[in-house]
Amino acid sequence: MSSPSRQIDWKRILFRYEMLLLVVLVVEWLLFYHFGTTTNRRGIVVGFGTMDRQFDILRHSCEIGLLALALTPVIITAGIDLSVASLLGLCAILFGKFHFDAGMPIPVAIVLTLACGCTGGALNAALITTLRLPPLIVTLGTYSLFRGLAEAITHGAVTYTGFSDAFLTVGQGRWLGLPVQAWIFAGVAVSIWLLVHRTVHGRSFRAIGFSPEGARFAGIPVNRRLATVYMLAGLIAALAAVIYTARLGQAKADAGMGYELFAITAVVLGGTSIFGGTGTVVGTLLGVAAIAVLKNGLATLPVVIRMNAAEEMSGLMTGVLLLVALTGSIVPGVLSKLRARRQAASTPSQTLA
Amino acid sequence: MKNPILRHLARALLLVGAATSLVAADTKLMVAMMPKAKGNAYFLSCKAGADRAAKELGVDLLFDGPTDTNAAKQNEIVENWITLGVDVIAVAAENKEGISTALRKARSQGIGVITYDADALPDARSFFVNQATPEGIGYALMDEAARLCGEEGEFAIITATLTAANQREWQKHIEARLGDKYPKMKLVAVRPCDDLKDRAQSEATALMSANPKLKLLMAICSPGVPGAAEAVKQAGKTGKVKVIGLGLPNENKRYVHEGVTDAVILWNTEDLGYLTVYAGVALANGELKPGASRIEAGSLGSFEIQGDNILLGKPFLFTKENIDRFNF
Repeated sequence: MSSPSRQIDWKRILFRYEMLLLVVLVVEWLLFYHFGTTTNRRGIVVGFGTMDRQFDILRHSCEIGLLALALTPVIITAGIDLSVASLLGLCAILFGKFHFDAGMPIPVAIVLTLACGCTGGALNAALITTLRLPPLIVTLGTYSLFRGLAEAITHGAVTYTGFSDAFLTVGQGRWLGLPVQAWIFAGVAVSIWLLVHRTVHGRSFRAIGFSPEGARFAGIPVNRRLATVYMLAGLIAALAAVIYTARLGQAKADAGMGYELFAITAVVLGGTSIFGGTGTVVGTLLGVAAIAVLKNGLATLPVVIRMNAAEEMSGLMTGVLLLVALTGSIVPGVLSKLRARRQAASTPSQTLA
Repeated sequence: MKNPILRHLARALLLVGAATSLVAADTKLMVAMMPKAKGNAYFLSCKAGADRAAKELGVDLLFDGPTDTNAAKQNEIVENWITLGVDVIAVAAENKEGISTALRKARSQGIGVITYDADALPDARSFFVNQATPEGIGYALMDEAARLCGEEGEFAIITATLTAANQREWQKHIEARLGDKYPKMKLVAVRPCDDLKDRAQSEATALMSANPKLKLLMAICSPGVPGAAEAVKQAGKTGKVKVIGLGLPNENKRYVHEGVTDAVILWNTEDLGYLTVYAGVALANGELKPGASRIEAGSLGSFEIQGDNILLGKPFLFTKENIDRFNF
């Protein structure tokens, strides 16, 4: 214990939860690379080990990743937003409506859609802060409300298609070698990271998550901060809606159905406490990556392909991954407890003096 | 303490990495077939035929799709198949435009693409296995009705709505056939049921009391068939007023066995799957080229091709004898 300041505390870095997750991710990737890559009868390398597959992973997980980023600050404040994917569906429909029915050019439609997403988030925030209702209940309500609105607007039947190629590039094209939406995603990820980890705002989210009353007494404008995180979630959900529409070339009321659960899973897998107070954006990113690689990787395994069960297996394995990672996350705690006990046993009692 | 956990982990990783060798190449042709929803009994019936064809041809068949009808999932599965390097992709499209971008990508990488049951945009696939033309359906319904009535007497049609595009198209061909071949038969009324079984039942009841000489009810929307049958049964006119229609076997089985409904007309879903696989394999082998006019499909024989539509041919009649073989 002579000069702790000069030494980098490797053990602390190695035993961080994010590190564990990174190891899981790397192992997962290598396993899929090993078992999921083959050459087909035309002699072409196919499966997981192709660049195309890697880009598909980025493309397929972009919207869920955005929702997970949106949910990270929300969950850090001990809140939850179940309505993000429904809002994605509603925004996709509104975007189609603005562009085709109202004849607006794409950029205007995008801006308006983002505004609508923000408004949806503001509705959540207003109900949570003014009525003091639990976020779970409020967003469960808006979860049905937003999806219901999307279905009502389209009567569940209208599908907006026929977007211009320039717009579809956002979801299907490449820019500087990477899928276009990967750049957007990176931009959002950096912004959220800055907000959560490098600003006073971010620190206040954790304070609110630990104890809203305490935060209030400490002079933090709790309601305003909560409004910020829910409106931000709505904004990002709208952005995800635009990207989803560009990726598929269609906007339909069922857009993003069920994505909220994958997003919440990714956030929790990333080490953010569902009770609030702690959590990191890096963890969320690793959580998203672990789930995305798992989902896409499973679909390339010959066994799974033979069983024609890619979708079922990915649901099953996502659950297993979550449970394994959460169990693994308590290992460092148990280890240090064991070490403490061993030390206590080996050192004679006189040190107590 | 050097970290032993980490050392083991590093070693394990190296092993996995070093052992990366490509699995032995599969020499069989691989056909990937996608239903709209894979639990759907209609598509399971298609799969039964597809499996038979794959076995006969000695190809690998993948049959995967969304668990519920979901256009986004369809795209993701197609994109997965592209990176798996399958030889043929056959899709029943949930959404025409949505799936087409993914299918075009597959074609650009040399994968043979066909659609069946529900078509994508024409430039996104080489051929569409068309299960039924409006003409085929219209003629089959009219011919069967005439056969049951002895080619003379009154009949009425129960349709979905008077404006529904599909139904209008079928009705046009029914009337054309009637005018051409059956001068002694008379179409007395066409009533809409809004695709509701209850509504079809009350319309059928009204039709029977308004037209006492009515010999046959023809329902050309699927809820209409059991609806009309129920009305006939309750009126005690089983056998006197015959019922036929376009529908699914399961919801009509009971009435067919009771003798209320004489025939349900649709296409043979097993044959649809069978033909789709044969067409896909022929496309991949270069035997099926644009402009072809016929295709051979194993035990089912030869099928006609019109433009880029491979025609499954005449609709299939589900009757008392065969209806129990089908479960959808």
